[in-house]
Amino acid sequence: MVMPNSQVWSPWVIDDIHAKAELGRYRIRGFSTFQKVTHFDDLTFLSTGLTRFPLEGYKERCSTRTVLGARYAENPLALDTPIYITGMSYGALSANAKTALGRAATLTGTASCTGDGGMLDREREASEKLIYQVLPSRYGFDPRHLAQAQAIEIVVGQGAKPGTGGMLMGVKVLDEIAEMRDLPTGIDQRSPARHPDWLGPDDLAIKIEQLREATDWSVPVHVKLGACRVADDVKLAAKAGADAVVIDSMVAGTGASAEVLLDHSGIPTVPAIVMAREALRELGLYGKVSLIVSGGIRSGADAAKALALGADAVAIGIAALIALNCNREIPGSDFMAEVGVPAGRCHHCQTGRCPVGITTQDPDLMSRLDPDEGAERVANFINSMTMEMALLTRSLGKSDVHSLEPEDLAALTVEASAMSRIPLAGTNKVFGD
Amino acid sequence: MNRRLKDLASEGADVTVVNPGARHNTAVGLLHPCKIDIRGSVGYYSASLMDGPEVTIDGNAGWGLGENMMSGRIVLSRDAGASAASTIRGGEVFVGGNAGARAGISMKGGTLVVRGSAGFLTGFMMQKGRIIVCGDVGEAVGDSMYEGVIYVAGSIGSLGNDAVLEDVSEDELLDVWGTLESYGVEERPVFAKIVSGRRLYHLDSLERLEKSAI
Repeated sequence: MVMPNSQVWSPWVIDDIHAKAELGRYRIRGFSTFQKVTHFDDLTFLSTGLTRFPLEGYKERCSTRTVLGARYAENPLALDTPIYITGMSYGALSANAKTALGRAATLTGTASCTGDGGMLDREREASEKLIYQVLPSRYGFDPRHLAQAQAIEIVVGQGAKPGTGGMLMGVKVLDEIAEMRDLPTGIDQRSPARHPDWLGPDDLAIKIEQLREATDWSVPVHVKLGACRVADDVKLAAKAGADAVVIDSMVAGTGASAEVLLDHSGIPTVPAIVMAREALRELGLYGKVSLIVSGGIRSGADAAKALALGADAVAIGIAALIALNCNREIPGSDFMAEVGVPAGRCHHCQTGRCPVGITTQDPDLMSRLDPDEGAERVANFINSMTMEMALLTRSLGKSDVHSLEPEDLAALTVEASAMSRIPLAGTNKVFGD
Repeated sequence: MNRRLKDLASEGADVTVVNPGARHNTAVGLLHPCKIDIRGSVGYYSASLMDGPEVTIDGNAGWGLGENMMSGRIVLSRDAGASAASTIRGGEVFVGGNAGARAGISMKGGTLVVRGSAGFLTGFMMQKGRIIVCGDVGEAVGDSMYEGVIYVAGSIGSLGNDAVLEDVSEDELLDVWGTLESYGVEERPVFAKIVSGRRLYHLDSLERLEKSAI
């Protein structure tokens, strides 16, 4: 067989060089990495046979209740499902989208999270359990909002672009967003990469104590890390006093990032979970410090595999936006005319021209997203995911999703075996040991 | 101690804290107007995350003095560690001695006055507000600042990326001197003024395909 083109100088490599030759800068886009990486599809569950009995798949009780951050907090975050909605800013997202996500979280007994840019009143009203992020930028940060939060998340890094800050292009920095963030209207906002008031883990310990003192030790403090040097980072965050560690992998989404970071930094979700689990185990804190993962969680199967590998909960971003109609033609939209690509191939969140009203600040575009309808779609999706998790769990003979464990899995590729520390299917061998 | 201070602050009480022992997180999260007089040095994040109180500290302060204050006033008699007045959105912070590195970093409003000198990266990524340094500043002052103004009476180690010098008007000078006078500073030095060059405000955000469609 003769390949139709060079595998090194592929059409998209050629297109990439042409684009940079025109732009004179790094390329910027939204969505997620386009790299092919080991992911949850490379693992499979070993459901019951004669060695163990299943629970009735559709009937028997299976708990999905999830409690996060019980290490020091007086009121840990109690959720009806181990799936919550990750931090996405008002600014990157429209007010309608933030409101829909908040309502969906409430409808499903779970939490949503603010993102970079402060707390939107409409999201606060919509979401009963709101996680308030403390980011390096501190855009819109208000101690009164902090006092209203059900959990606090200190963001050290983001999986899609670890080692750098957020990005919001000028087309989305309209008056209200600019005012909330104390920025000039219309600038291309690039958030700081470092926190302004602490530098290392010793300082972080004092920062965590500050936030606890401000909230009377009532709510959990999470620390979110981009998945890079996971083992050391998790140990340092746990030692600094985090109630929960959030690992955001290279597969995670973003509204805008330099493409070079999206595709060339961080590690995938599967090895990140395993490294984090082992790091906590080494400290004797596995099960005490909650482990939350995000990055490429698309279904109940993905979420169940994440829990089996050692996570206590997962956070979804892109999947929730897709449930809101991201990348789908709806009445009034025309992807080709509005963003230059067909639905299904759009990753142009950074342009602010989202044809379905999610990643835009344009009032006309935003009106295409009805918050109630959107909330119902996202709630349906989270409920579907939760049911899928329960179904898989019962098929393994277990009555609680938190009883899932590595022994419930087999790896389908050598790479997945090595990264997940799970035996390759058909063997008893963990590759890389 | 913070719970007790919050209770007293909510009653609008005047409170004196003695022997603070340079503890971190002293007077954190106070969201009501009140007066707090701290007699001794304090650690990191003192008088931070607050909205309304007037705090006087007779001593030194650690990192992050007044961090993310919304409104109110802090008067420190001696030196402040790094990141004094970081991310404040309103109110005033007066440092009677010197301030460490990153003074006024990411400020979003309000005023920071440093009676002595301030360290490197003073006003880094500052968004709004005013920093007045009566002494010298270190390297990279005003690096990547958006808006806001930094006044320096002494020497400038170096200007940060996209920070530029601008002429100071007489009205501005009178305003700065008035602020100093309110803290009992009687000298009337001439200040250099540093603002953003605004060269980092924009990237061309659209690519060819996007431009053809949008």
